[in-house]
Amino acid sequence: MTDQESRGSSDEMILTCEGLTKAFLGVKAVNGATFEVPKGKITALIGPNGAGKTTVVNILSGAMTSDSGTTHIGSTDVTNWPSYKIARLGLMRTFQLSRELGDLTVLENLLVAPKHQPGESLVNIFLRPSLVKRVECENVERALGILQTYGLYDLRDNRARELSGGQKKLLEISRGVMASPTLLLLDEPMAGVNPALIERIGGYILDLKAQGVTVLMIEHNLNVVEKICDHVIVLAEGKTLATGRLSDLRANPEVVTAYLGEVINASTHS
Amino acid sequence: MSAFWYYVFTLLFFLFDYFILAMGLNIQYGETGILNFAYIGFVAIGAYVTGAVSMPDSAGTGQHYILGLNIPFPINLIIGGLTASALALIVALISLRRLRTDYLAMVLISLSLVLYDICNNFVPLFNGADGLYNVPEPMAGVLKLTTNSFVPFFAGVAGVVALIMWFLMSRITRSPLGRTFRAIRDDAGVASALGKGVFRYQLTSMLIGSFYAGVGGGLIIQFGGSFNPSAWLPGETFVIFAVIIVGGVGNNIGMIAGSLLVETLLVHLPAFLPSIPSHPGLIEYVDAMVIGILLMVMLWFRPQGMIPERIRRSPISASTPLSSVTAVAARAGAEPLSTVEEGGAS
Repeated sequence: MTDQESRGSSDEMILTCEGLTKAFLGVKAVNGATFEVPKGKITALIGPNGAGKTTVVNILSGAMTSDSGTTHIGSTDVTNWPSYKIARLGLMRTFQLSRELGDLTVLENLLVAPKHQPGESLVNIFLRPSLVKRVECENVERALGILQTYGLYDLRDNRARELSGGQKKLLEISRGVMASPTLLLLDEPMAGVNPALIERIGGYILDLKAQGVTVLMIEHNLNVVEKICDHVIVLAEGKTLATGRLSDLRANPEVVTAYLGEVINASTHS
Repeated sequence: MSAFWYYVFTLLFFLFDYFILAMGLNIQYGETGILNFAYIGFVAIGAYVTGAVSMPDSAGTGQHYILGLNIPFPINLIIGGLTASALALIVALISLRRLRTDYLAMVLISLSLVLYDICNNFVPLFNGADGLYNVPEPMAGVLKLTTNSFVPFFAGVAGVVALIMWFLMSRITRSPLGRTFRAIRDDAGVASALGKGVFRYQLTSMLIGSFYAGVGGGLIIQFGGSFNPSAWLPGETFVIFAVIIVGGVGNNIGMIAGSLLVETLLVHLPAFLPSIPSHPGLIEYVDAMVIGILLMVMLWFRPQGMIPERIRRSPISASTPLSSVTAVAARAGAEPLSTVEEGGAS
């Protein structure tokens, strides 16, 4: 499959970024990254440590502003929008180091996620309590269903900070799902997770794709990338080095030199 | 009324009043994570405005103050609360948009000092260092209350106001709005990534908390009949912080426990003890030390406070069978658990 085939046609792009740059005290973490994410597919963002992957995700999600370059979600220019406005367009994200809302329960972590809750307005709390209650009941039902799906149902009343590392990863993904995303950015969802859970998380991501959710995930586990990702973007030194299917990229000498070589060597030595 | 009951009702008044003040600071700091070190400034503005709008025109009173509108209770109290909220709006627009945590705290403590200096030195505003006095006692004329009977009456009024404000605050903290406040307190970045406009919610929290501060201040000036800058030194904010930290941050019931222990028993009860002739003022100094030590002990050994923030459990019991939730999951379009466990990367 060619790069064009793995991405699909150009009118199906849900996320487009062009010439993104970001420097920290003169050090260019992102240096002209340009790529597109095809709608309804699972795209991997790979590259060596320090390639600028997490910085790119931070820029895309609005957690950070770029020094230059543009970002579009669909046809909307969202360059340097604040993260809450980008999230309202349907872009949800998880974090490299899990950031659960620690003092809230597992269920509450999910209940925060839905957009436009009537119960978040003072006027509705006092003047339209029945509407608030009805929507809250619907959200609780839906959240419990998602928790059951992700194997966290029995932990629903635990404070989120009490969860294990793997459970926190699941919580972050399920919280993102609760927000009904159109695009989900996953920052190393398999990092520090046992092989059985990697299998499960991979299954969940495929399920999301089947439900029409587009996924962009930073991932170092090439077996996972090979199995579930339709499209791969390789970043190195803050630039887009190549894009396409992983099987095709394995034949790309630049990609092998910059990233795949070290991964293959590392797995050979281990 | 004997002196004993006078003391008891005075203590009760301060218990109810600081319960209101603690709830206001709790929604800002305990629920939303805003370190409002200027809180006492909002209390003072509420007190001054409540007093000034309930007093007659200043001409001929021997005092200098603005307003002077003869507005009766409880409208004057509501105006005091709303004025404190209006001040919070200005402060929030200036400081909350760009500043977080420690920087915000520094700006707010500076604001508290500026407010103090303005009120202390700009006499035409609220009579400068002398402050307002001869503030009318609410409903004293209508109910023909004497100085003695006003104290238990107004302690009761404060109790009713506290009860109403506790009810309203409970509705807020138990609602999705309260949950979003706590999400912002836990991690504002995550809340923002979930589509929550953090500034808007922090502003809402500031307005609610400041309204409580203003109402609490308004009750104080009407109870005592006077209010001047010595009553609201910027350090007073930390006594209210002690109330909520000792009582239990994030718990409205903890606020009344903190008010009872810190404000009523440690701050106001010793004020009624006979002073030691050879060491005047010693009791107040020991008092301040005890509060400081109590604060450190609580932060070290029981940071969650006397009554910790409760876990908001799901509306279904732990014994709810999975099958019934499966039906819920099916309606939500989710996959049953058994399928998930068998599923994997394929």
